[in-house]
Amino acid sequence: MPPMSKTTDYLKPIILRLSSMSLAITLLTVLALASVIGTVLLQNQDQADYLQQFGPIWYWVFRSLGLFDMYHTWWFLSLLGFLMLSLSVCLWRNVPRFLKEMRGSKVALSDSAMKHMKYSRHWDLKGTSTESVLLIAKERLKGWRLREEQRGDVSYIRADKGKYQKWGYICVHTAMLVILIGGWMSVQFGFRGNMSVPEGAKENEITFLKGTSTEYMKMPFDVRCNEFSIDFYPNGMPKEFKSNLTIIDGGKEVLTSDIIVNEPLYYKGVRIYQASFGDGGSKIRLKLFKLDGTGDVGSAEAKIYTTFKDETSGITLEMTDFRPHNVENMAELGKAKDFQDMGPSVDYVMRGPGLKPVKIRSFMDAFELNGENRGNFMQVSFSGNTKEFKNVALGLDLSNPQEWELMQSFITHLADTDLKDGQKANLQAFKAAMNDVFGEGKRPDNFQAMAMRVMQAVQVIPRLPWPYIPVLDDYDEKYYTGLQLAKDPGMNVVWIGSGFLVIGLCIMLYVSHRKLWLIVRRKGNDVSISFVGLSNRNPLNFNREFNEILSSMDDDMQQLKKGDRI
Amino acid sequence: MTAVTESNGLWDTMYQGRAAFVRYWAYIGLMLGAVGLAMFAGDGYTESGYIFQLVGKDGLMWLGTGALLGAGLSIMASVLRPELVNGHIPKMMVPWFDGAALMVALMALLTLFEPAAGMVSYEDQANLFAGHVIMTMNVLFLFSAICYIAYLFAPDSFIGSMATAAAWGAIYAGGSALLLRWYESYLLLDGEIGHAPVSNIYEVFILLFCITTIVYLQLEKRYEAKAMGAFVLALVASGVFFGIWLDSVGQAEIKPLVPALQSYWMKIHVPMNFVGYGSFAVACGAGMAYLVRQWLEARNSKMVKVFPSLEALDQLAYKAVAIGFPAFTLATILGAAWAAEAWGGYWSWDPKETWALIVWLVYGAYLHVRISHGWHGKTLAWWTVIGFVVTVFCFLGVNMYLAGLHSYGRLS
Repeated sequence: MPPMSKTTDYLKPIILRLSSMSLAITLLTVLALASVIGTVLLQNQDQADYLQQFGPIWYWVFRSLGLFDMYHTWWFLSLLGFLMLSLSVCLWRNVPRFLKEMRGSKVALSDSAMKHMKYSRHWDLKGTSTESVLLIAKERLKGWRLREEQRGDVSYIRADKGKYQKWGYICVHTAMLVILIGGWMSVQFGFRGNMSVPEGAKENEITFLKGTSTEYMKMPFDVRCNEFSIDFYPNGMPKEFKSNLTIIDGGKEVLTSDIIVNEPLYYKGVRIYQASFGDGGSKIRLKLFKLDGTGDVGSAEAKIYTTFKDETSGITLEMTDFRPHNVENMAELGKAKDFQDMGPSVDYVMRGPGLKPVKIRSFMDAFELNGENRGNFMQVSFSGNTKEFKNVALGLDLSNPQEWELMQSFITHLADTDLKDGQKANLQAFKAAMNDVFGEGKRPDNFQAMAMRVMQAVQVIPRLPWPYIPVLDDYDEKYYTGLQLAKDPGMNVVWIGSGFLVIGLCIMLYVSHRKLWLIVRRKGNDVSISFVGLSNRNPLNFNREFNEILSSMDDDMQQLKKGDRI
Repeated sequence: MTAVTESNGLWDTMYQGRAAFVRYWAYIGLMLGAVGLAMFAGDGYTESGYIFQLVGKDGLMWLGTGALLGAGLSIMASVLRPELVNGHIPKMMVPWFDGAALMVALMALLTLFEPAAGMVSYEDQANLFAGHVIMTMNVLFLFSAICYIAYLFAPDSFIGSMATAAAWGAIYAGGSALLLRWYESYLLLDGEIGHAPVSNIYEVFILLFCITTIVYLQLEKRYEAKAMGAFVLALVASGVFFGIWLDSVGQAEIKPLVPALQSYWMKIHVPMNFVGYGSFAVACGAGMAYLVRQWLEARNSKMVKVFPSLEALDQLAYKAVAIGFPAFTLATILGAAWAAEAWGGYWSWDPKETWALIVWLVYGAYLHVRISHGWHGKTLAWWTVIGFVVTVFCFLGVNMYLAGLHSYGRLS
């Protein structure tokens, strides 16, 4: 170990310790255990959620250890740094030794070393020459790297295979170091953040999390989203998310391109990925079906993420989301699946004086079951959690204004009638309502179905606690595209390291350095031959290889013996 | 323990000399033709279009030209330089290529049993034929496991051959069933959802069984380690029950690919990962065999004779790890490359990534203590068993219990 001699004595134990195998294994184990924490504890969540989950004491403990953004804490990074240090010292200590070992190795073998060989065989032959034995051996050892030496009466042949196996070690450990350096470069000189661009708008700032706070960063160019579109499979699952983007650099449009997931855009060292999407402020029109007995129908217009305020009643509608498709499996459990698109829907929160705030998802189209029109419906959640939506079937098909009129008229007539029998009263009131809406004696084609719907609606609609029912009427859809922008100058370094890692591993694990010695001693007319072998890895294969050579060599020697007798 | 060198007349003629050499290059030509087809033919590569190109006129031309060119050139080469014929690599690779070709042929045969177009739909996939083939695979794996376990108690060569034969049968059934599922995915929804059969947990489980068993059978063939089969196939058999359960809860359905998975990387990254997982399973089997043998020795049981020596089992476990570790490393790197292309960074400390790192560290430490510290025996046997528990958590537990970017592998 030449470098060791230069270091002063007090550094020696430290270097020995740093490059020791026990430290390497301890480091690997500690890293593995530390990594587990970050996967069990969800990272980078809202601080309030953590506080609620763990209580104030544990929250404080975890927070001061940085466990909520664990992989970027000083202690985790110093673990990685320590690993780099250990790798470097290890390489520095071992590489010169390995190179020396690979370059030169002794051909001659001492008797004591020979005794330690696990694989060995001896022959004693009479009346043959060293040369003929060596010639036969060389023939049998074709494909091996051979070297010869003569020391007095003793001739040595040394055969090597897989001598470069130690390069595997050097390759793997250097590669790990390179990968870690690449990772450090990525963190130090790169960035990665998100950007939301509504259709038609442009943006040049990304946001990202640093520790627990959100940070902003300006990009050297603007990104405009011309269009965002979703392509669907026939079963309603999304097939492709596509954004048409224009890069504007210095006020000039320099590049327009489509991006999809898995196919990012590359501009000025920055990669732009399709990461997410959402509603970018679609225009929504709602019909307000008033429940004050007048039967009036108002309307409201608002964009998603804004709030519609009705000055007269004090009601506010906060638009939270819009979806153009709602694909649901309509089949009963265990039956063959039956996917149906329930059509567009809008989510809003209705608030008002004396009203409990309620989250509503209102569908534009009437609900159809087995080809039958079952009228409009909405989903209602008092907790505000969309998972707790409950279906409310309104009964009426509100796309047909006559149906709403019919119900109003029916309610009025039902209040007027003095018939005691509910059945008859209903019939009479319905007839009167029909005459009011469609004219005396005239009936629409499907009036029976309409009657069913009205009968259901009167059970539900008048009982709703709101002054009106806001139902989605029309929309002008607008998405935003969620982009991720990243610059990663360390990436290529990581790829180079990765390549060396795999190559090095293959050399290290699949090549074994095998050594054979043939020692021929001459004693007068006789020769005694020793054949010994050593492998640093893979004894099973070496066993086979050694035995194959041995048996062929054995045959040769027997031949020589026989030849001698003749 | 000496290596087995089978000498069988037919085998020798098929897998030695010129026959193997020419076939090897024909296969290489065929594959290069397939790559050329993907890169240069027609409208280029699309997930849904490529498979039709392969079986169509274009495919015949590109693949056929490639194969003929490979065969022709290699015949010429073998005439000009006869010593080339005895190369090591063709001899080693040709049985694998032949196996793969046989699997494809088997799949083509199985397509004949597919029900008429009207009988299958995306909503009702019960009539698809791959389900039956997978059930055959299940039965064969279970039968093989039973035979291997019986072999421990009655080391009869007939039982041993049955176990091995059933295992091979199961591999061919499983492999061709997966290929058949690939084909079937094009029968649904007008061919729009066609994709490689490595997209959900059910499919990769079948892949895992097959790869585990192949890795094991290679070791068995070379090192006469039949007793180990009882442990490896027992692991596979327990997986088979899990697979049957997955099927019963509707996880076996062919579903469209979410946009994140629509990438050629999926076809490389996922199978490569399972070479790693499968090898670690075999290492676990060897480790268990080691521990059981040691326990039997302590009780002076006669069954010990069936087992390979402790040293050999220790070596076999190491061999399996030595196959799995580079494969797993490569798979993780390929995953990072995919992540760099799809998610904007090669490493995000996503739970799946982190657990892959943990698995890597566990086996990395195993190799360290073994190669450099010279550890052997019981501790390392336990290490392979516990390492496999960590591996199982990585490919199953993470998807079931932890959120993250790999959530499409989740049970839903």
